[in-house]
Amino acid sequence: MDSSSPEVKVSIEGLSFFYGSNAALKKISLPLYANKVTAFIGPSGCGKSTFLRALNRIFELYPNQRAEGKVLLDGVDILGRDQDVNILRLKIGMVFQKPTPFPMTIFDNVAFGLQLHEKLSRSELEGRVETALKRAALWDEVKDKLHVSGNSLSGGQQQRLCIARSVATKPEIILLDEPCSALDPISTAKVEELISELSNDYTIVIVTHNMQQASRVSHYTAFMFLGEVIEFGATEQVFTAPANKKTEDYITGRFG
Amino acid sequence: MADIASSEELPAAFDLARIRRSHRADHIFHALTRACSVFVLLLFAGILLSLILGALPAIEAFGFAFLWTEAWDPVREVFGAAAPIYGTLVTSLIAIIIAVPIGIGIAIFLTELCPRVLRRSVGIVIELLAGIPSIIYGIWGLFVLAPILQQIIQPGFIEFFEGVPFFESLFTGPPYGIGMFTAGLILAIMVLPFVTAITRDVFETVPSVLKEAAYGMGSTTWEVIWSIILPYSRSGVVGGVMLGLGRALGETMAVTFVVGNAHRISTSLFAPGTTISASIANEFTEAIGDLYVAALIELGLILFLVTFLVLAAAQYMLYRLEARAGGRS
Amino acid sequence: MNSIYAKRRRRNNMFLGLSAVATIVGILWLAMILVTLFYEGVSGINIAVFTETTPPPGLDGGLINAIVGSLIMTALAVLAGTPIGILVGTYLAEYGRYTRLAFVVRFVNDILLSAPSIVLGLFIYELVVVSMGHFSAWAGAAALAIIVIPVVVRTTENILVLIPNTLREAATALGAPRSHVIRQVTWRAARAGMITGVLLAVARISGETAPLLFTSLNNQFWSTDLNAPMASLPVAIFQMALSPYEDWQRLAWVGALLITMAVLFLSIIARVLGASTPSERG
Repeated sequence: MDSSSPEVKVSIEGLSFFYGSNAALKKISLPLYANKVTAFIGPSGCGKSTFLRALNRIFELYPNQRAEGKVLLDGVDILGRDQDVNILRLKIGMVFQKPTPFPMTIFDNVAFGLQLHEKLSRSELEGRVETALKRAALWDEVKDKLHVSGNSLSGGQQQRLCIARSVATKPEIILLDEPCSALDPISTAKVEELISELSNDYTIVIVTHNMQQASRVSHYTAFMFLGEVIEFGATEQVFTAPANKKTEDYITGRFG
Repeated sequence: MADIASSEELPAAFDLARIRRSHRADHIFHALTRACSVFVLLLFAGILLSLILGALPAIEAFGFAFLWTEAWDPVREVFGAAAPIYGTLVTSLIAIIIAVPIGIGIAIFLTELCPRVLRRSVGIVIELLAGIPSIIYGIWGLFVLAPILQQIIQPGFIEFFEGVPFFESLFTGPPYGIGMFTAGLILAIMVLPFVTAITRDVFETVPSVLKEAAYGMGSTTWEVIWSIILPYSRSGVVGGVMLGLGRALGETMAVTFVVGNAHRISTSLFAPGTTISASIANEFTEAIGDLYVAALIELGLILFLVTFLVLAAAQYMLYRLEARAGGRS
Repeated sequence: MNSIYAKRRRRNNMFLGLSAVATIVGILWLAMILVTLFYEGVSGINIAVFTETTPPPGLDGGLINAIVGSLIMTALAVLAGTPIGILVGTYLAEYGRYTRLAFVVRFVNDILLSAPSIVLGLFIYELVVVSMGHFSAWAGAAALAIIVIPVVVRTTENILVLIPNTLREAATALGAPRSHVIRQVTWRAARAGMITGVLLAVARISGETAPLLFTSLNNQFWSTDLNAPMASLPVAIFQMALSPYEDWQRLAWVGALLITMAVLFLSIIARVLGASTPSERG
């Protein structure tokens, strides 16, 4: 793997996050490389999910939550007040821990984001939906029942539906918040395979409490603790030769 | 500062105009929901205002004395609210005294004793009965209960309490069958499902860990109820009772049929009387003269204010229970 | 030790026994009412009830004008009150959930929910009847609408609050503006619950008499003129039950039975609809 000069897709500079007056993230700075998978690991409460949610500004749904600092996507600060948040979310997709199919058909689920932003003819729409479902490795299983409710799928299928939904709008970055923690091992393996494939075309950030998963799928890993990034580097190096003692303690299971 | 909308290539069919428009639609929708919410407040204020304005002639004519004047003479245009107020309070009190113990008893039965298989059905039955309109109770009271009271129960009570001090004056007089006692009984049966449902819901907010801890120490079911469930849910139960009281105070149809419609204050519960809502219901459409109408509206104003106070207090108690349950979990 | 336990056992059995007695008393009492209602009402049912209008005392007749009048005013009230109720419930659960305005509106709404309906009738009398100069079905529908609104607000808010936030977040993360999320996702997930709310509101106003007494008044004849007094089942029952005429009283029982059946029917459907949890619905 050539890590000598990977392109930086997102540059995080001094990102802090507050729940009320409580600082959950303390001046985080690190790069997210294009078309690579970056994993965030750390014990519960270390801020990894908070970090993810700062990136697509989903925290703005709630009062008393705010972010400070800069997050530069291709050089543009997406935390800026004048950025159109809906367009931002077009470029950054998110898959949540619990599969959340919308109360509509499989087809409408995947088409949801498309119909928000683009003017497409019916056949174009169908083509995009098919592409997305194929990318999420779900097409074969649902191609004959596109007009069935999304809720009728199994847990693993629902999560892949959510992934299809996110990639349908052709985002540049995909955020995954513990995407496998609600799934059985077989579905987990399928999703992990998917992540590796998707990283060829998208920049992926994955939060996981499963260290083995992080070492399996990611190119870069960040270890977080109490709102700070303790260590960041190539996955192989972080797991085999961690530079920081705390990282080593966490990885070897001495705490967390 | 560069805009991400322009910095990157957006999909070919991207509809920037639509996105801008959807922001505006968002604002409009938000404003609409907020406007409707304010409308609810305006409605409340409007009701209060219209009652005050409508009652103004009577307020000016009678002043505070209206509250304790018993006379009600449409001919000489002398009106007093004492009899309706008294009747409202007495009938509601009777209703609460009867309905609350029974309602709490049923709630206890439902949450602790009832076999689980039956629990849901009995609960559903109670809730369905809470939905029966009051006019049904009114008719039943007039045609079924009143005769029973007139022929059997009232004579029985009168004879039983003859010579007993205090109680004698409560249960005396000719057994009409209709009267304040009958109205109170009907109100009780109306309020019962309501109090039961709320008390049951309140009991169910008690965390099972608390109950299990008590059972684990060998408490009997009753002891758990008395020492754990009731104290924990006390403000909720009081809130539920006050909610029931608020309903009883404002009940019209159940009471109008059987209360007797006499603007009189009597010590005997068996005597006919009237309540605020019954007076309005019976007399409003035939009231001639601005003062008569205004007096009736003033009655409505008094009722509105009293129920407002009772219901507000009930809300307060129920919020307190919710806050407590939330705080502990 | 043993005697203390025995005493505790006895007390336990006594109180629990009392609560069982209370339950039996309560259920029996209510059963008695329903049985009488069915007995008296069914014996008066015949085709005429549904084909003829309310008669003068002493003659045969039916209730069709009252039934239709009730249907018309109920429909109007629901049409007017439901959209307002849903929008307010949406504000309370979505946009304004943590705001002070929402707190006050919720409080006032709960008061209106249990307010004496006769007072609402007085309000509409002054607002509509006096300004129009006469009683009308509009006024009756308006009074009923004021009862519909708080019910729909309450049920809508309750069901929306139950929808998990992750659903909203998932839609938001795709770039949907708030109103789009609410209308296309949240409302859809809550659809059954909201319909339940409307059904409960309809059940509630079906039997309301007091607010109609001096707004829509009553009408002995067949009329669908919204600008004129309109007959309604509850008011017709009121008038006929209080009279000394036996055939009128018989009709009153029939009317009471019809209302009760409608209310029970609506409540049962509402319950069946509301039984499946929001997340199970597709």
